[in-house]
Amino acid sequence: MLRFWPVWVLLLGGLFYWGLQRPNKDELQSVLVGKPAPSFSLPLLAPYRAQYGAEMGIQEGLGKPVLLNIWASWCIPCRTEAPLLERFHQQYKDQVLILGVNVQDSEAEALKFIQQYGLTFPSVYDGRGRIGIEYGYYGVPETFVIDRKGTVLARHAGELSEAQLRGYIEQVLR
Amino acid sequence: MRRASTWWLGGLLLLALALAQPSPNTPPPDFSPEVFKIAGQLRCPVCQGESAAESNAGIAVEMRRIIAEQLAQGKSEAEIRAFFVQRYGDWILYEPPVRGLTLWVWLSPLLGLGLLGFGLWRYLARVRARALTTASDVSEEEIARLETELQSPERQP
Repeated sequence: MLRFWPVWVLLLGGLFYWGLQRPNKDELQSVLVGKPAPSFSLPLLAPYRAQYGAEMGIQEGLGKPVLLNIWASWCIPCRTEAPLLERFHQQYKDQVLILGVNVQDSEAEALKFIQQYGLTFPSVYDGRGRIGIEYGYYGVPETFVIDRKGTVLARHAGELSEAQLRGYIEQVLR
Repeated sequence: MRRASTWWLGGLLLLALALAQPSPNTPPPDFSPEVFKIAGQLRCPVCQGESAAESNAGIAVEMRRIIAEQLAQGKSEAEIRAFFVQRYGDWILYEPPVRGLTLWVWLSPLLGLGLLGFGLWRYLARVRARALTTASDVSEEEIARLETELQSPERQP
């Protein structure tokens, strides 16, 4: 059997190389990609009610791309991500709706969070994380990219970098 | 005597405190056993090595609450499982169905066993063939010499 050891080396090497090329097994694809985004309406956090009304959410016929960002005040990567989202909101607020969903949090802590980072894009309050489960989320932060027809284009699990966020914005504005 | 009594009471107190602490893996006793039976078949999205029945993550607690509400609405176990598969895919089930990509999960052990059996069969066949070849190669003269050598101890006594 050892007579053909070069063949075995090549086989194992090929298998190893194939294993390296495989996508990250921890990156689970969202089953919502390519499907209509689930509709919902939730109460806005208090500072946003004057500008956006009592409730906000995803409805059919919105006619505007949405970046749905699921966050929580106890989430460390969300604190890194928040200033980035705010900056992009200021730049693209007329073309893209950045909507935050605060999940499994207390309202007081959420208010403290948005005040600390001076967030002006709207966030709704989902105290039990029901809408998060409707979207099949795994944890926070998580961002869903929804086009103007209401179809989910992508799900980004984890913290967004500026390049990634810019890529998603360009994707929905295309 | 006082020292012995003090140590004994102290030990008993520590033991009582230890036993009073609930096990960290004990699920919260807030839902019926049927809820935990169904949740035990679902994976926790956050603590992916635990089931939704065992995990204390907020999502898992909410999943249990959803299961309890849907059971109260009269939904069947299959309907509740379909609810979560619709949102998370087959991955959420601890026993993935036999279809599509998950088909290989079920077939690969059988394939492995098949390959092992085939390998063993080929090895044994080769060994048997080699033994037969060796036996047929022995000439008549060598057989006679071997028989002579085997009889040599009888000549000595």
